[in-house]
Amino acid sequence: MTEKIPRTAITVYLLLAVALAVQVLVPGSPRQAASDASAFFGVLVLLAVLFTAGLVGCKKNTRAVTDIFIVIAVILLLWEVLLGKLSLLDPLLFPGPAQVFQVFVSDWQLMLYGAVGSLGIMVIGYGLALALAIPLGLYIGWRRRLFDVAYPIAKAVSPIPPTVYLPYAIVLLPTFASASVFLIFIGAFWPILVGTIYGVFAVDHRIINSARTLGLSDYQMVRRILLPGAMPSIFSGSMISLIMAFISITVAEMIAATSGLGWYIEYNHQFANYDKVIAGMILIGLVVIAVMFLFDRIQQYCLRWQQAE
Amino acid sequence: MTILATITLDNLCMQYGSNGSRYTALSDVNLTINEGNFISLIGPSGCGKSTIIDIVSGLKTPTTGSVLIDQEPVSGPGTDRGTVFQDYSLFPWMTAFENICFAIEHTGGSHTRAEIEKQADEYLNLVGLIKFRNAYPNTLSGGMRQRVSIARMFSMNPKVFLMDEPFGALDSLNRIYMQDLLLNLWSEGERHKTVLFVTHDVDEALLLSDKIAVMTPSPGRIKEVIDVPFLRPRCRKSLGATAEYLALKSHLLSVLYCEMMGEIAQQERNFRGLA
Repeated sequence: MTEKIPRTAITVYLLLAVALAVQVLVPGSPRQAASDASAFFGVLVLLAVLFTAGLVGCKKNTRAVTDIFIVIAVILLLWEVLLGKLSLLDPLLFPGPAQVFQVFVSDWQLMLYGAVGSLGIMVIGYGLALALAIPLGLYIGWRRRLFDVAYPIAKAVSPIPPTVYLPYAIVLLPTFASASVFLIFIGAFWPILVGTIYGVFAVDHRIINSARTLGLSDYQMVRRILLPGAMPSIFSGSMISLIMAFISITVAEMIAATSGLGWYIEYNHQFANYDKVIAGMILIGLVVIAVMFLFDRIQQYCLRWQQAE
Repeated sequence: MTILATITLDNLCMQYGSNGSRYTALSDVNLTINEGNFISLIGPSGCGKSTIIDIVSGLKTPTTGSVLIDQEPVSGPGTDRGTVFQDYSLFPWMTAFENICFAIEHTGGSHTRAEIEKQADEYLNLVGLIKFRNAYPNTLSGGMRQRVSIARMFSMNPKVFLMDEPFGALDSLNRIYMQDLLLNLWSEGERHKTVLFVTHDVDEALLLSDKIAVMTPSPGRIKEVIDVPFLRPRCRKSLGATAEYLALKSHLLSVLYCEMMGEIAQQERNFRGLA
């Protein structure tokens, strides 16, 4: 049984085709630096392929998928026409898409290296924060007296932007990587801790009573009851932490790094390579989207019991 | 034949709050439940029925007095007592099957994983929910959740069953179904245990119990214990029509009604005091 493909789906292909046609047929503005447009072609074709895959793979939401791709296609088309061909804005500051996407071809090694480096630092810092904040939060939430002390402190400290620790981190820690890990850790730690404590506290006391009637050991109580019970709140804390971690790593790299995504943008900014700056921004956006998608999937799996049919 | 347990409530008193504002929830509660008997606590809300269940299950410690199960004093929660609450007995992050397995694991017997799983399936089958073994509680109806809770209680094979208004949140048709299910399961051999059951439904108490303890509020105490002499197995239809049943029911209702009028008058006096 084939799902009815919405009529608007054709619009997406049409828009992408028009963008392609404009790039090929309309002569480029003399003020745009002459560049190889093959990467832009590649992007347009890739989008068409992704859209088709989206339509086939995601039958329930064809309308949403179509709408998202229409927005993307319109932005690309407008970008190409207004900046790429007509050069309505300063071409140095606002290069056309052909020029920007070409960066992905010429600089791919540097970008890949940067993305892997940044993600590596993030995984370590974020992982450490998870590994420490969750057990600590479970314990604090379980012990009422500790809670009374720790929760106000955690709540007061958690909104401090982690970047304020940067000067000390750079002075005290030997390498940039260790300073960044520390920064991400400290930024991610508090929201996860607050989320965990709050989550334990929010577990219904009737459920805890039911668990107590089973005569659970303390470990079992924490592992099988409090941890899963607090999980929804742990995830909302972790989500805030993840966003914090992205901000921290990017800012840290812009200030003090010699590689990474933030550094790539800052470095090219100094040489006025704005095509590379925009390419770097797009790359960060893609990395964030990918990580958030993964996070979402993990959350959906872990909280599958919450979804009532 | 398993040896059935007795439950003895010995001079239970329960007080909350500090010296300044003391609230007495229970006062001098004495009750003995004989081997294999089904006893219901009935009374208006706030009379301390649930407090008694909490004390017997070990969740609360009485201010004075003690609970003895087979002459052994209760000192905390344990799996020798199987408890079903009105709702929230099950853990929402475990499937029906996992909930039952989890309870069996903690009963202390040495079971292999395969034995536990077989037993869990057996009890799910008994309550007619084998099809829903992998469903999470949130996806089940209130009645189904209570069936799983009851399956869990039976599967733990405790000495006694404690039930705190297990059908209180269900609609009346579901409640009738659950009462019959409980009676059927409980009547048979191994699953026949001593039961302490809390309800505010007079018909439910009469259908299920061997004895009914009527409680009065502020402070909570047992006013009288009534024998329910009907022979088992009981049939809901024929039972409800007998003169004896109607006499008992009207007696219970009049006692409860008196209590309730007294309580309402008390509340009104308190309210005027505030105004």
